[in-house]
Amino acid sequence: MAKIVLDHLVKRFGKQTAVKDLCLEIEDRQFVAILGPSGCGKTTTMNMISGLLKPDAGKVFFDGKEMNDVPPGQRGVGFVFQNYAVFTNMTVYENIAFGLKIRHRPPEEIDREVNEVTRLLQIRQLLSFNASKLSINDMQKVALARSMVTKPKIFLLDEPLSNLDAALRNIMRAELKKIQQELGQTTIYVTHDQVEAMSLSDRIAVMNFAVLQQYGSPHEVYNRPKNLFVANFIGSPTINFMEGSFGSGAFTLKDFTRGKIPLSKQAMHAAGQKLTSQEVVIGVRPEHLKIMDRGSEGAGFQGEEDGGSPSGLLAKVVSSEPLGSKTIVYLHPDANPGVILKSSMGSDYRPAIGEMKELTFKEKNLYVFDKKSTELAARF
Amino acid sequence: MASIKLENVTKRFGKTTAVAGLNLEIKNGEFFCVLGPPGAGKTTLLRLIVGLERPEEGKIIIGGEEVNDLHPSKRDISMIFQNLALYPDKTVFDNIAFPLRQQKEERAKIRERVEAVARQLKIDWLLEKLPSQLSGGERQRVAIGRAIVRQPEAYLMDEPLSNLDALLRLEMRVSLKELQTSLKETFVYVTHDQVEALSMGDRIAIMNAGVLQQVDEPGAIYRYPNNMFVATILGNPPMNFLKCAASDGNKELLVKHESFTLTVKGDEVRTALGGAVKEGGVILGVRPEDVKIHLEKPNGREPGGRVNGGLVDAEIYVTEPLGNETIVDIKIGSNVIKVLAESDFAGAPGRRVWIGLNEHKLHFFDLETHACAYHASERDAIELWGG
Amino acid sequence: MEQKLFVKILKFILVIVVTVLFLFPIYWMVTMAFKPYTEWTAAGGKIFWYPTKPTLDNFRSIFSKQLKMNPIAGTAIRPVVNSLIVAVVGTAIAMIAGVLAAYGISRYKRGGNLPFSLLQLRMFPPIAIIIPIMIMWAFLRMIDTWFGLVVIYGVVTLPFATWLMKTFFDDIPHELDEAAIVDGCSNAGAFVKVVLPLAKGGIASTALFVFILNWSDFLVALVLTDRRWTTIPVHISKLQSALVGQLYGPKAALGVIAAIPPIVFGILIQKYLVRGLTFGAIKK
Repeated sequence: MAKIVLDHLVKRFGKQTAVKDLCLEIEDRQFVAILGPSGCGKTTTMNMISGLLKPDAGKVFFDGKEMNDVPPGQRGVGFVFQNYAVFTNMTVYENIAFGLKIRHRPPEEIDREVNEVTRLLQIRQLLSFNASKLSINDMQKVALARSMVTKPKIFLLDEPLSNLDAALRNIMRAELKKIQQELGQTTIYVTHDQVEAMSLSDRIAVMNFAVLQQYGSPHEVYNRPKNLFVANFIGSPTINFMEGSFGSGAFTLKDFTRGKIPLSKQAMHAAGQKLTSQEVVIGVRPEHLKIMDRGSEGAGFQGEEDGGSPSGLLAKVVSSEPLGSKTIVYLHPDANPGVILKSSMGSDYRPAIGEMKELTFKEKNLYVFDKKSTELAARF
Repeated sequence: MASIKLENVTKRFGKTTAVAGLNLEIKNGEFFCVLGPPGAGKTTLLRLIVGLERPEEGKIIIGGEEVNDLHPSKRDISMIFQNLALYPDKTVFDNIAFPLRQQKEERAKIRERVEAVARQLKIDWLLEKLPSQLSGGERQRVAIGRAIVRQPEAYLMDEPLSNLDALLRLEMRVSLKELQTSLKETFVYVTHDQVEALSMGDRIAIMNAGVLQQVDEPGAIYRYPNNMFVATILGNPPMNFLKCAASDGNKELLVKHESFTLTVKGDEVRTALGGAVKEGGVILGVRPEDVKIHLEKPNGREPGGRVNGGLVDAEIYVTEPLGNETIVDIKIGSNVIKVLAESDFAGAPGRRVWIGLNEHKLHFFDLETHACAYHASERDAIELWGG
Repeated sequence: MEQKLFVKILKFILVIVVTVLFLFPIYWMVTMAFKPYTEWTAAGGKIFWYPTKPTLDNFRSIFSKQLKMNPIAGTAIRPVVNSLIVAVVGTAIAMIAGVLAAYGISRYKRGGNLPFSLLQLRMFPPIAIIIPIMIMWAFLRMIDTWFGLVVIYGVVTLPFATWLMKTFFDDIPHELDEAAIVDGCSNAGAFVKVVLPLAKGGIASTALFVFILNWSDFLVALVLTDRRWTTIPVHISKLQSALVGQLYGPKAALGVIAAIPPIVFGILIQKYLVRGLTFGAIKK
């Protein structure tokens, strides 16, 4: 259990900057995910926290103590790597006991701890097995157990679930969350999978191109993304972006023949505050973008003040994905077949391909981004 | 346009059987997906159809003719390999033109055709470039161009989108589906991604360890999976399974879990589950979207006797907020099941809740074989009794 | 930090020493080729590190009909031509057979444990078998013929060519062959139209190696040739006189000439020695 503070961390590899001026505070007992595409700097950041890499500038603090010159073995961190690094010549018991043995713990204590941790992870029955004979899924649990048993103050996990098959990944995600909640260790989890980050974390640090984009709770990064990158990266299916301009009390979306969306007075005011220019990008999440037959009751854009005006935002159905619990419909705006919009509809919805539908969404579900700065200008 | 048929096809590599006694019929002009985990035999299936492998047993029939002994170059089928296999020392133009040149077409005709295809795929501005100078998506389209340029009888694709990033994969999926619709040709598409299979296929074949599990329309397989493997592979999060005891009462069959009991009435169901009763147990399957969580204790008794309105006493194990929805892991007895809930679900771990199962969407699987014994539907009289 | 600097200097010195050791003989030979008689004879015990009076005498003397100091040797023109013919044809044999065999082994996995069997062949010292071969060749009247030499050169370098080419073919993904077949080529067509062009680099470098092996062979040529078909290495060995001993000057001159074809050949095929031919074909 420890509070971690990253103070203006910088790391360069030759001419490339892997991490630029990173400031992050991780409270005690929190589960924080560092999320981003490959190459964004997340693994480098984790390596600086663990001590495997020295920062070129900036400091790492654990509980107020500066850790820059403390070697990894003495920082009290437990690791789980992507490829587990389980010792294949030892039994599961020996693997897990390894960390404690090195620290010269008495055998009764080792025995007790190993049994406790394997009970938690439900791998007690594997204790006498040789580690090389395990399935990948069990190996992952052994790797987890091995780092947990030394009761580190801080847990560092680098994409530990990426080698598991989809079904097991679902199960292990929930288990991991439960374990962390029970044990309460400060945990840092590096991943490129936003579903994992959203499901597991108390807070998510989103990174791109070596820069921290946003640091907030899952709710915050989903509902109030700071910029286009975060809005696009979080959420599956990804958010819909529609380009347009802002002026005379409405948004005019350029991909539609009749793309004018009238705004309520408050909305206009809020939007006008932050926008630096007339060029905007409107974001609507698929679950908020419904499609209805043209001119039908309730169809069209719904501002705050009236019940709904036929907005005339028409789009052509291109394909639909019946996913069982819901159906994702793909559409092209009527004036631009180069853009793909996604609408999340009910599980029995079966639109005809090629049909023109009217887009239906509410003002309160719009994200307004300034096109030039890519930042969020308004969220009603 | 051709139909493809495999009759009792078996293919072995040394001691491993890659494909066993496969019987499959792919209809003319359909978009046919083959879904399965790595090692299921999907790539072998494609290679048997195109002729790069010969079956040890069985027949491969294309367009009504048996082609076992026909060299791949003469089968008039194009294939897109998983790693594309673009000719690296040839320009995009030459890559796409290659199949036509083997057919000894005239130069002018070849040029015309290649340019048309390139325009259709929006790569006409890349014709003089080499594959190494292209992005992933562009290479993908060159591979597609090479496949469609000679208008073969069928198109085989081996996980063509698996190496693309999420956004590009989405665009390409839509493009491929549009392409197939416009060409109206037979497409056989192999993937391990269930979302791709569900969204693109007219019909899906599910394979595991060389054996065909089920072939049907996506909606039908999702709703009526033949066995637990199929039930798990489609749907995310996958179906929940609860081991229950099964016994026969007078008026009804009883399916008993430590936390609840299901009463099953009706002759059809009871006959179907007869085997389960003999074995003494059954595996109950229910999808996450078919479970409802009630945060408040329901009132009293129903007329007819069900306590708690027929809901089951349970506890929240962990919650996974995904933004657009929340996955709630619920502990029922000694099992943990996943339930889909709204994005604003407000329940903390440890909280006591009440669970309802959609009795019309339950599935009963055999304890030993994992095959499906019965799918419940609206016609059935099944009741959930908590406790 | 000081330690590192010390190690760096040590490494640098080592590199210089090794480079000098390797380059010195070449330097010596080239300078000797241009030294006048007085400078390449050991008389006087003085070592000339470079030709103070450079001259083309040595070159002239090896091409003259009768060497000034050794009437038996004769002109070097014939040996140069012979070497060229024999090395080129021998390389061609090894390459044609080797490329075809290598493709078969690479794609169809026949041929047993190729690397091991090849190694065994190479480990057999030529000197052990050269006498029986000479006897066989004599019986077949193949001594002092071009084809007698060519057959041996081709056969002896064939395993090496096959082995090298197999590794190059292995680097070309077999999906390319398969794509070609699916696109309408016969098996042979796929080989010729798709694989061979991609293997150009490998073929060029293998051919160069084999050529150098054949070109520089001394033992086999010595035993299997007499007068008409001597090759350069054998001719060099004849450049001696009873009076003066080894004719270093002429030897060096011929040596310099002998070095030219491999260098020219190498430069000519340089563009085929480019790596990265398969980049872009296969997604990693």
